[in-house]
Amino acid sequence: MRSLFLKFFVAFWAVIVLIIGAAAIGGFLYAEQLQKTIEDFEVGNSMQEASAALERGGREGLIKWRESTPPDDGVIIFFIDDTGRDISFRRIPFAVERMFRRHRERLERFRRSDEDRRDFPRSRILPQLVAPNGDVYTMLVAPVRAPEAFWSNQDIRVLLLIFALLTSGLVSYALAAAFSRPVRNLREATVALAEGNLNVRVASSIGKRRDELGMLGRDFDSMAEKLQRAAERQKELTRNISHELRSPLARMRVAVELARRKAGELPEFDRLETEAQRLDSLIGQILSYTKLEVDPLHKATDVNLTDVVREVIENVAFECGSDERIVFRAQTDNDVTIIGQRSALVSAIENVLRNAVRHSPPDGKITVSMDLAAAWLIVEIADCGPGVDERDLPNLFEPFYRTKESAEKDGNGGTGLGLAIARRAVELHNGEIVAQNRATGGLVVRISLPSGD
Amino acid sequence: MIDDDRELSGMITDFLATDHLDVTVRHSGEAGLEAFRSQDFDLLILDIMMPGISGLDVLKRVRNTSAVPIIMLTARGDDVDRILGLEFGADDYLPKPFNPRELVARIKAILRRAQPQAEEDRVYQLGDIRLEARTHRAAVNDNELHLTGTEFEILKCLLERPGKVVNKEYLSERALGRRLLPYDRSVDTHISNLRGKLERAGNRNETIQNQRGVGYLLIPGN
Repeated sequence: MRSLFLKFFVAFWAVIVLIIGAAAIGGFLYAEQLQKTIEDFEVGNSMQEASAALERGGREGLIKWRESTPPDDGVIIFFIDDTGRDISFRRIPFAVERMFRRHRERLERFRRSDEDRRDFPRSRILPQLVAPNGDVYTMLVAPVRAPEAFWSNQDIRVLLLIFALLTSGLVSYALAAAFSRPVRNLREATVALAEGNLNVRVASSIGKRRDELGMLGRDFDSMAEKLQRAAERQKELTRNISHELRSPLARMRVAVELARRKAGELPEFDRLETEAQRLDSLIGQILSYTKLEVDPLHKATDVNLTDVVREVIENVAFECGSDERIVFRAQTDNDVTIIGQRSALVSAIENVLRNAVRHSPPDGKITVSMDLAAAWLIVEIADCGPGVDERDLPNLFEPFYRTKESAEKDGNGGTGLGLAIARRAVELHNGEIVAQNRATGGLVVRISLPSGD
Repeated sequence: MIDDDRELSGMITDFLATDHLDVTVRHSGEAGLEAFRSQDFDLLILDIMMPGISGLDVLKRVRNTSAVPIIMLTARGDDVDRILGLEFGADDYLPKPFNPRELVARIKAILRRAQPQAEEDRVYQLGDIRLEARTHRAAVNDNELHLTGTEFEILKCLLERPGKVVNKEYLSERALGRRLLPYDRSVDTHISNLRGKLERAGNRNETIQNQRGVGYLLIPGN
């Protein structure tokens, strides 16, 4: 069907019309049946018998006659006195009573008016019996209240119940399914998209629908398409920046070496070389930071974090040329595995550890410890440097944030992005990173990652 | 040297000339392949990021026909290019931007190693694997192994000490002529290529095992 609106509208309307229609048709058929019962009833015979009984025994005789003559053919006979009640106070059905009242009012009007009584429609004249003492009783023939009889039929009740349950159930199910299945599909796709799977599309499951949900699905697809293109453009841009910024840098480094060969050793050449390297590592850090910004964790795998920490320690120790500076203390016997992106976790721990090395005195020890606490995996990296001013602690992980000390001490080799990269990588894993000053001096950075079990 | 950066390759040519290295430069994959077919070269420097035929494609095509030593230039931080390059048979890689002195050092290391050493006349045999140092040939039973220079050197190192762990630093120094670097997976990639080639040549008994964090060892079959 073209639209969801129409689907709901038509379904509800159809159900309601169907119910009303069924009730109306049922009522009509029933009324017809009652009419027929009354028409089939031989009023004349009963009236004569009743009249005779009244003649003989008065009101009591009439009651007795009625009781001794069970109404057949599904009718019941009322004898109504001038107070408007039945002779033995049988409850008169509302509809019958109303009919009777109207009849009397009409008679009354005729009586008061100048109209000829003969004009009163004959069919509307109700038979009246006159007792010997002059009391008048109106005889009313009404059908027995058949609905009770109808509903008291066990088979019909069960059948009706089953029919009602089945039809209403089917209609409700179809409607609910038509609505909830595409919504569920869309929801799954949204979750997948949020997790970074930009390839997800819903065209195959709900894209062919012609209602609002189909439109929503197509809008979702075009949104995903745009997101994917933007992410690809960003990636492409990142690659290009890497290439375009590094090409001149590559030429510059060759030029410096050529100059060195032609002009001989000058201290400025070393300086140029160092600055070129610094620029290169800054470009590298910016790229890996932006990569973390756009590259979500959809390629997560099992990562042995103990392994990662060991590897990073090995490499950083290699860089600073000493095997003894970094001490590793694992508080857990078994290797710990978490789900995540290995390269991101490596760069998180590596950046924090490099930072610790950079801010410690040349022979200062750095302690890396690893612990499991409840559902958290905690890696602590403690250095023995000067620590950080308390006011700077909260901002330590901001990109390019410089503490007063590090701003004064220019050129300590940091790019200003290392800790920002670490925080971004940890947050991507739903973890937390905090820095504190140690009581014994130095800074400790604590990385907490959900251990996943 | 195949590199689309004309200025850079010009300067590198100048720089290498001062080290008595004669460089022919082409600026595209197509031109490079053509020059390579028409002339004999001792070593190929190949930029991975090139328009047209990519460096990786050039690498694959060259390796189909030749065991010439190849150093590829990659973008720094692009692990995929580096790993693919080594898997497709490059001997070593250097991330751009690099210090040209480093390039010279690597070229010399690889050229030195590529030269058959006259004094060495040993033949190594372990199970089905046979390696002749003088002729630079290796085989599993009678199936010749087509190894790159680096893979050949690594296999030789392992054969020198069968059943004993050879550490990665040593393998890097011997086979690549340079120190092992942090995050350096070159040796591991070469080993994995070597394993594949041994297996495809029908070797089932001897295995190269990894000793975590230390190095590799070649275990003789029973």
